[in-house]
Amino acid sequence: MTSTAQELHPAPTLAPGRTILELNGLEKRYPGTHALKPVHLAFKAGEIHAIVGENGAGKSTLIKLLTGVMPRTSGEVIWEGKPAALATPHEAMALGINAVHQEVVLCRHLTVAANMFLGEEESRFGLLQQRAMVKDAQKIIDGLGFDLPAHVVLGDLTIGQQQLIAAARATVRGTKFLIFDEPTAYLTRKEADQLFKLIRRLKGEGVTIIYISHRMEEVFELADRVSVLRDGTLVGTRNIAETDEAELVKLMINRSIEQIYHKEHFTPGATIVETKNLSGKGFENVSVTVRAGEIVGLYGLIGAGRSEFVTTLYGRHRKSAGQILWEGKEVQVNSEHDAIKLGMALAPESRRDQGLCLNLSVGMNLNLPIYKRISSNALISGAKEKAEADRQIADLRIKTPTRSALASSLSGGNQQKIVIGKWLAHGAKLFIFDEPTVGVDVGTKAEIYRLFSTLLSKGAGIILISSYLPEVYELADTLHVFRRGKLVATHGFRTASHEDILGQALAEKQEKSGGQK
Amino acid sequence: MSTEAIPAEKPKRNFNALFGLTLLGLLLLMWIVLAVATPSFATALNITNLLRQGSLIAILAVGQTFVIITGGIDLSVGAVVGFTTVVVALLINAGWPIWAAVLITLLVGVAIGLFHGFGIVKMGLPPFIITLATMTSLRGIGLLMTNGNSISINSDPFQAFSRGSLFGIPYLFWMVILVAIPSYIFLHHTRWGRYLFSVGSNAEAARLSGVNVPRTIFMAYILSGLLAAFVGVLLASRIGIGNPTQGDTYELQAIASSVIGGTSLFGAIGSVHGPLIGSFILSTINNGANLLNVNTFWQRVITGALIIVIVYFDGLRRRGK
Repeated sequence: MTSTAQELHPAPTLAPGRTILELNGLEKRYPGTHALKPVHLAFKAGEIHAIVGENGAGKSTLIKLLTGVMPRTSGEVIWEGKPAALATPHEAMALGINAVHQEVVLCRHLTVAANMFLGEEESRFGLLQQRAMVKDAQKIIDGLGFDLPAHVVLGDLTIGQQQLIAAARATVRGTKFLIFDEPTAYLTRKEADQLFKLIRRLKGEGVTIIYISHRMEEVFELADRVSVLRDGTLVGTRNIAETDEAELVKLMINRSIEQIYHKEHFTPGATIVETKNLSGKGFENVSVTVRAGEIVGLYGLIGAGRSEFVTTLYGRHRKSAGQILWEGKEVQVNSEHDAIKLGMALAPESRRDQGLCLNLSVGMNLNLPIYKRISSNALISGAKEKAEADRQIADLRIKTPTRSALASSLSGGNQQKIVIGKWLAHGAKLFIFDEPTVGVDVGTKAEIYRLFSTLLSKGAGIILISSYLPEVYELADTLHVFRRGKLVATHGFRTASHEDILGQALAEKQEKSGGQK
Repeated sequence: MSTEAIPAEKPKRNFNALFGLTLLGLLLLMWIVLAVATPSFATALNITNLLRQGSLIAILAVGQTFVIITGGIDLSVGAVVGFTTVVVALLINAGWPIWAAVLITLLVGVAIGLFHGFGIVKMGLPPFIITLATMTSLRGIGLLMTNGNSISINSDPFQAFSRGSLFGIPYLFWMVILVAIPSYIFLHHTRWGRYLFSVGSNAEAARLSGVNVPRTIFMAYILSGLLAAFVGVLLASRIGIGNPTQGDTYELQAIASSVIGGTSLFGAIGSVHGPLIGSFILSTINNGANLLNVNTFWQRVITGALIIVIVYFDGLRRRGK
């Protein structure tokens, strides 16, 4: 099997508009759960079909069935008019069904080119044609308009760039049917635009696309049709022109959109933290104040300095100039330990890597910062441990069978709650949320926002970092806009328009790209 | 053109080469120091001796590296060496022609590797456990077969091989070259080598790309077993006996050589030249310590310290990027 760049343009065998894949009562049961109730759905060749639904609604199950990662319980899949077993990933790929996953499933130690051709290397007399592969990979990447080098090691690229490579890779394998699962979760807006261009181009070439996303605006930007899953049931399919966000959200959760951005206003109390002209690696001269009972939003593109600012505030990096005042007194935050002692808590962006011990129980995760408190001398009090964990689970409404379930078995949203709950138990006053709702569904989002209110009502202050404008816009009492390491604008609650804020965050970049076009 | 930061050009591969050169430099430095410090180091006798000493571990380290690259470990190689000295001794003494005895012994190594693959892939055992189990059992089986005695090999040509040399270089070292060149091509220039890296980097990604992950794992352990059996044959030739307790701690020396040579125990990072240089660094330490009359117990301490220092600097280098 030698595949080459010649397959850059897959040739679909069906005219656009004909049914390429039909689900006939496709169903999946696990012991104890009915993950996907019989689904009847026909995908048309060359359409972009969005699938939306909360976490646990059955989207991932559907993808896994279509890509042959696991077998179905019953039902039929008709591919180009013929029943397909889809028993192995290999079979799905051979038919032309491919997926780009939310988390990049590639080998970060290998080069971009090696990843592009993994499993389908070009070789001659058993020897890899490495130079040819790099050249071909570069040709493919350039052809897609991605400005990325093919010879570098994948792990040296940003997650967003890796995601683009994953997408590029999926297009070279004779793909006729491509599933994107939350592809933009880690992308910058610019990278997302590149991806959308690629998706539209594939559609133009007749490739059928399933696009799974929590971001409604993307669904409306891209899709021709949209299907909604709720609790394993397909509750509706709409033409995109004939529906709106409100209807979809309602289908998804049976709840109106106003209820998602749950915003309670509290009278701000004493100042918790104040930075004066704080500078550090990646940002300079940032002055921000957070008071009890308020949410301070930091908006900007990835790399604009927001995350660098908070990690410096949190003691992970050294400041180069400026002051940090904690409750009015100047403090030196030289380590995360110092920050935690003061009463700061950081819910990191990548909760899987930084926030949670996935293979430990929910209870242990929740109690991790407070074992000192629930132990006498060296011995842990079993009763206190149980009581604390159960109280947190109830308080935060963490959906888990028991406190002894593994953290890895919970949904993303519930994992996020554990990360937050940990610090709540510890008695933190300032909560820093870095992209708290990336890859989280609408229902869990609403719960996380409600949790913000709980935190505020207890006298805490919140710094909320987000690349998703509606989130900071609807929630922040004070909204700071970052651009290229500087704080460029500050707004009150809903005092500026989306356009203005976006403009302030982008300004320079727009000028640049504008000048080039 | 975009304003996105594009990762620096090439350095990765050059870095690899640079690291290899640094190691080689360290090895040469040690040789120069020893040549100056001791009268007996830079003699033909000592150098050939050093090459013979280092060769066995070097070959083991290459096999070990294949396994470590997949994210595994093979603790059994020392025991395989001891066991296969017995196998080859028994076969030769039973009157088998040397070539057949060697071939069968190598097949025994393959079978042991197959067993490891079976344990890991089919039984789901961690590599550490299954190879730990064979490490103790193989020694036991060898002792049962020999009743705890050494078996003298009644074949002069077989033993002469280890003493012979070509162009002034011992046959044993030629064997390293014989193993190293195909190994290098295999690891860096064939798809199977690439699959070893991909499995160690992200087995799920490899599987979703159509890489046969179980087969790749089988392959790594079979190669390690095969090379260990080969070393068993060479050792039997060198010492002229079959004895199941031979090759004691070889597995640790092989792992140490591999790690000193830049292999990551987390998988997906490794080369062929690194472990080779690593193994000769280790044998130079032993050789030099002997010549300098350093207490042999100190050699172990020095080896341990060296592992820490080199891996620490390697880690710094990786993080520094």
